[in-house]
Amino acid sequence: MSNSYDADKETFMGVPRNKIPWWPTIDYEKCNFCMECDKFCPHNVYERTEDENRKLIVKNQYNCVVFCRACAKACAPDALTFPDKREITKLIKDLRSEKKEG
Amino acid sequence: MAEENICVLPCNGLDKSLGVIAREVALKLIEKAPEFNLICPVLLNSGDKTYEELLQKSKIIVINGCITRCSTKLIEQRGLKPFKQIMIPNLSKKYNVKPSKTLNLDDENVKLAVIIADDIIKNLENAEQIEDKTATRDFQEQEYFDITVDKYYFTVPKKGYFFNENDCWIKPQGKTALLGITDYLQNAASDILFVDFPDIGKDIGQFDDVGSFESSKTVLQLISPGSGRIIAVNKDLEPHPEYMNQDPYNKGWFVEIELDNFEEDRELLMNGPEYFEYMKNKAIEEKEHLDKLRSEKDV
Repeated sequence: MSNSYDADKETFMGVPRNKIPWWPTIDYEKCNFCMECDKFCPHNVYERTEDENRKLIVKNQYNCVVFCRACAKACAPDALTFPDKREITKLIKDLRSEKKEG
Repeated sequence: MAEENICVLPCNGLDKSLGVIAREVALKLIEKAPEFNLICPVLLNSGDKTYEELLQKSKIIVINGCITRCSTKLIEQRGLKPFKQIMIPNLSKKYNVKPSKTLNLDDENVKLAVIIADDIIKNLENAEQIEDKTATRDFQEQEYFDITVDKYYFTVPKKGYFFNENDCWIKPQGKTALLGITDYLQNAASDILFVDFPDIGKDIGQFDDVGSFESSKTVLQLISPGSGRIIAVNKDLEPHPEYMNQDPYNKGWFVEIELDNFEEDRELLMNGPEYFEYMKNKAIEEKEHLDKLRSEKDV
């Protein structure tokens, strides 16, 4: 089962997916391009490139499942970080109440 | 220890330093428990018959250095199932030990290998003591919504459960609650083979990662619908991970928590009818997406 749909139409908890900044950030100082995260992620979040310094990039950020951090578990050099979960939860709550009031 | 045979199969370990740690853990295990049988992954993979009979009658502990899980695959290819799977990347994070940059292990890495080997032995001993004593929870009959999409059959309990959009459920019962995965997620995972629990006593927030489970296809996380403290884990899942597939809302429960503030958690959760609608749409959309891909291929 894959989840790569049109990000503009996708919502998460009633909020447009593209208003939620949840996806991994690669620390290129730490990343050794072992590609374990890319091999793992079933949602095509990553893309391999020809660029020697950035052989892997976050390509489809909105494909990333909000609150999923499973790829970081596969990362031996600990090069992947995600946003603060509490801040994202608060943002979602705020956007939801805006929607109700508006 | 037990009269049963125990086999230890590490990965070959020459691809990355986490693999060398996997190999080191196996060596430390044999040092501490000489009755264990060490299996050489290269010899096993060569098609040689040396281990055939031994593996058939043993409990097999596989130790993987990375998510490719070569040693697990070596066992599964033979139609066998590992008794326990050790994932070195998870443990290196748990104990906060960085793998060395080269294939030569540093002192910290060797220490980590000793800790992991000790943990494995301790767990085996504990498992013997608590066997058959795990509290069984009574689950009353309940009513379900259900739908078949493509070849998948999905159910959702009508009452008593709340859900997040990560396809995990919480069933509050007074001050405590059980947590688990939905029928949708178990279908997506297919046959679940391993579970990885959090420590008892750990505090978790809503949408935190509570633990992971693994199928032959993928590794998935249980993302918590609620906040609180872990007070129990479903030990029955270790010998019977298939409960998560067969009965995800009852026997397949994952952990139990003492609730922190369910009123607040509830704001971002769906009830049974809401989740059923959400899940139904997701399953149908996925089917349409797959149909589209298939038809594009045919053109």
